[in-house]
Amino acid sequence: MEAIFQPHSVAVYGASRDPSKLGHVLLRNLLEGGFGGQVTAVNPGLGTVLGLPTVPRLSAPADLALVSVPAPAAEAAIADAARAGCRAAIVLASGFGETGPEGKAAEQRLAAIARGAGMRLVGPNCMGVVSRLDGGWLNGSYFWRLPELAGGVSMVSQSGAFGGMFFAEARRRQLGVARFLSVGNCADVTEADALEWLAGDPVTTVVGVFAEAFSDGRRFVEAANRCPQPVVVLKAGKGAAGARAAASHTGSLAGSHGAVRAALRRAGAVEAQTSIEFFDALQALAAQPPAPPSLAILTISGGPSVLAADAAERVGLALPAPAEATVRRLRELTPSFAATGNPIDLTPQCPISSFGPAVQAVFDDAAFGGVVVINCGLDAAAFGEAVAAAHRRTGKPVIAFCLEVPAVEAALARAGIPLLPGPERAVTAFAALVGR
Amino acid sequence: MSEGRGISVLSEWESKVLLGDVPRPAEVLTRTKEEAVAFACELGRPVVAKASGMAHKSERGAVRLDADVAAVWEELAAMGDGTVLVAEMVRGELELIAGGLRDPQFGPVTSLGLGGIAAEVLGDVVFLLAPRLPGELERAIEELRCAPLLRGYRGRPPVDLAELGRILDAIGSLLERDPDVVEVDCNPIAVCEGRLLVLDALVVRRPG
Repeated sequence: MEAIFQPHSVAVYGASRDPSKLGHVLLRNLLEGGFGGQVTAVNPGLGTVLGLPTVPRLSAPADLALVSVPAPAAEAAIADAARAGCRAAIVLASGFGETGPEGKAAEQRLAAIARGAGMRLVGPNCMGVVSRLDGGWLNGSYFWRLPELAGGVSMVSQSGAFGGMFFAEARRRQLGVARFLSVGNCADVTEADALEWLAGDPVTTVVGVFAEAFSDGRRFVEAANRCPQPVVVLKAGKGAAGARAAASHTGSLAGSHGAVRAALRRAGAVEAQTSIEFFDALQALAAQPPAPPSLAILTISGGPSVLAADAAERVGLALPAPAEATVRRLRELTPSFAATGNPIDLTPQCPISSFGPAVQAVFDDAAFGGVVVINCGLDAAAFGEAVAAAHRRTGKPVIAFCLEVPAVEAALARAGIPLLPGPERAVTAFAALVGR
Repeated sequence: MSEGRGISVLSEWESKVLLGDVPRPAEVLTRTKEEAVAFACELGRPVVAKASGMAHKSERGAVRLDADVAAVWEELAAMGDGTVLVAEMVRGELELIAGGLRDPQFGPVTSLGLGGIAAEVLGDVVFLLAPRLPGELERAIEELRCAPLLRGYRGRPPVDLAELGRILDAIGSLLERDPDVVEVDCNPIAVCEGRLLVLDALVVRRPG
């Protein structure tokens, strides 16, 4: 698995001169991504591609073979990589198990050749790998746009196209990425294998998993359960009842999702219901520590904070009342009409000099495991600075919803506090921090 | 008793025998009217009489509550497979459903929820991987909308979770030891003063 995420040498099968061919795109991505190791272009009957001399077959092993040839030619490419002693291969080509029994048989032959040579095989029918290496990116994928930031977020996806969503969201949300692997048809390497490797990856701080079906369900549950980093799962295809006899009530009640929920409960994974929740959870977990299931909703904007409180109740988060001492302190510092329950509303009329000590009193209250900050319309920079300072000092997790308050947003962003575009989304993302 | 699609649905009695040690009311599968009358007399409490070996017994009028066993035995025997199941009549304060199935991705799973018509209308059911781990049943129950009912409401005793766990374990262990069992229902399970009694059961097998 190491060779998939951290190869020192890569061979590209199907490296083409034609820029419209995927094999050309793959080689160009690899070269432009800044991969520092040895690259070999494999293609019979060509001189050079993108300045690299091509070879008809490998004469020396590469750590990783990327195979972008039409399906019928994939077997010969895998046989060559196996013969040469490559440690891993990724078959990006489509036209295998997803097409029917014949494709399934062809895919099993690829896996058998790889297994016989002790070579791991990813795919077929996948988008490849993206991985941060010292000084650059390994881009062994068809994605031409790399993440802008290196960081701790890793992603395992059955779907290749969902990888496109992942990279786009990572850029939009300024998430730092560590690894991406699209596992496709899982002829050999499954989500469970990828997760087991990522669990030992010192760079990865949170793992996202997108799956339509788990090819090795129980092992995935074990892997997620043992994974020291939080795991967020988005499972597509919840509707269909699958191939059940359904002669019983239990069978007709199950849908296909009952077992998935049971599995994710045991896995200790965060289950996202939508792609928005999925990326919100990754954004929260990438920046904030685990949280106990109790929070303060802290605001200077009344209405939206009540929506946040409703959301907290829906997702099972407790909104405890502040301690008596906290209430007394807030009464001293804020206008008489400030709300000192939970949500805590310091109100727009709160004196600027009071924001610091009032926010500090809330963060210091042991009743709260973390804070969701809501700030709409009134850009009180002192409020933002106070939250940032209290977060840094106490280490308590914070998620924020801000609207048209650039100074506050800047102060929170500098402190690494995730900003989400809605009060309910901020609370749901906080719930992801609670996890297991 | 069998259905199409290459699966067979076992009778209530066969299903309960396969499940083994689950709490049941006093009951016996009778092969003669005399046997049935003798059981009812000895019990000395109201009984329910059910035709054996047919699906959808209630809908087809094959379940008689507070039955005069002597009067209905022959009719019920003729509706089913020639035997009649006679059981102590039990009225619980609550009905639950427990079940199990073999999931294509995660293997044997068990389920638990509110029984009777509520099971179908509300779909208030949670699933657990089998065999279950300590603490999982308690966490799963918290996901049920009917969780407050199970904890005891309006002074009722709470549902005996250890007993509930044993029923789920019996279902899970049947799925694990017999690869041809595809689905299991224990429906309804009557809750009587917190104690549980499996009133009806159904095991679906594919031909082994």
